[in-house]
Amino acid sequence: MVSICKRIALHSSRRNTVYLCVRLANTFMDPKELVTGLEKRELLNEEAGKDPDPYGLAIKRGPGTKDKPTLVSSAFDSRIIGCVCDDESSHINWMWLHKGNSTRCECGFWFKLVEKPPL
Amino acid sequence: MTNHMNHTFHMVNQSPWPLIGAMGAMITLTGTIKWFHQYEQTLMSIGMITMIMTTIQWWRDITREGTYQGLHTSKVTKGLRWGMILFITSEVFFFVSFFWAFFHSSLSPTNELGSMWPPTGIQVFNPLQIPLLNTAILLSSGVTITWAHHSILENNYNQGLQGLFMTVILGLYFTALQAYEYMESPFTIADSVYGATFFVATGFHGLHVIIGTTFLITCLMRHLTLHFSSNHHMGFEAAAWYWHFVDVVWLFLYISIYWWGS
Repeated sequence: MVSICKRIALHSSRRNTVYLCVRLANTFMDPKELVTGLEKRELLNEEAGKDPDPYGLAIKRGPGTKDKPTLVSSAFDSRIIGCVCDDESSHINWMWLHKGNSTRCECGFWFKLVEKPPL
Repeated sequence: MTNHMNHTFHMVNQSPWPLIGAMGAMITLTGTIKWFHQYEQTLMSIGMITMIMTTIQWWRDITREGTYQGLHTSKVTKGLRWGMILFITSEVFFFVSFFWAFFHSSLSPTNELGSMWPPTGIQVFNPLQIPLLNTAILLSSGVTITWAHHSILENNYNQGLQGLFMTVILGLYFTALQAYEYMESPFTIADSVYGATFFVATGFHGLHVIIGTTFLITCLMRHLTLHFSSNHHMGFEAAAWYWHFVDVVWLFLYISIYWWGS
């Protein structure tokens, strides 16, 4: 606590004038400089007017037959998906989708995992 | 590791803190009972130290994930916000139970209490002395924390620092005054249901002020090390919500227990 008080007292007393470089090191940086990783990508996307979430997790179902399964992308060997079996359905059918064979939902739609490298 | 997936959720790593924290809580509980029965504090101290070390290191990890690894995306932050809202809601109900006990006992005082409130023989605090000062302190701290918040939002580092610092000082001042008042108190926790409800309610409130001050000091230290920016200060906002909650609880305590109850 003493050291915090000391730093704050020092800090307030040397504002603006003498220690210019110190002052620069002790002020906020541009929010864009502070953020990193995914958070930064989100911020940049938002600034560019794009959807801040670059991934679009909701997938529109195609015909979903055995020959033409709905393709679900993942960076992993398996992914959990939820099938809304029909428009009237009031619940989501959750299931695991594994790399390799297509998987059939109870209601008859087929899904297949396709590899998509991580963004 | 951040980019090895195609979604913006935070897949947390394995961590020892939930297990060690749970052990610390159990050791503290057992140790406190041991203290009550055998006047021996070692086990309780071990538990407390374990808990304190766990909280420090757990939140240090979260700070690293959020600030240095950029894992707190808007979806993750939304989850953290909801977590804090639900936590504070549960705390509200925790205090509701103490007010329930207080009003249950005070609205129709039993014969044993002399059919009056405050009960016969209880000398209460003057609500216009230290309690009123404490009310002013907490209300002012609500102003200073809002000042700090707006400074951070407007990229004003210095005023953010000053506002936060003033809030911490006001929090410590409140705790000091409450401690002084506890020492001067003419009644104890064992003096009828008045003492019981008074000390349980104000004591838990005081504990929450101490927790809130610790939370604010953490934010102050993070601010000093430049962890915050105008769009990255979720930890500060959580501390501010918590502080306002503590403030509002005090207003209810002041109005019902200190003022109406006297």
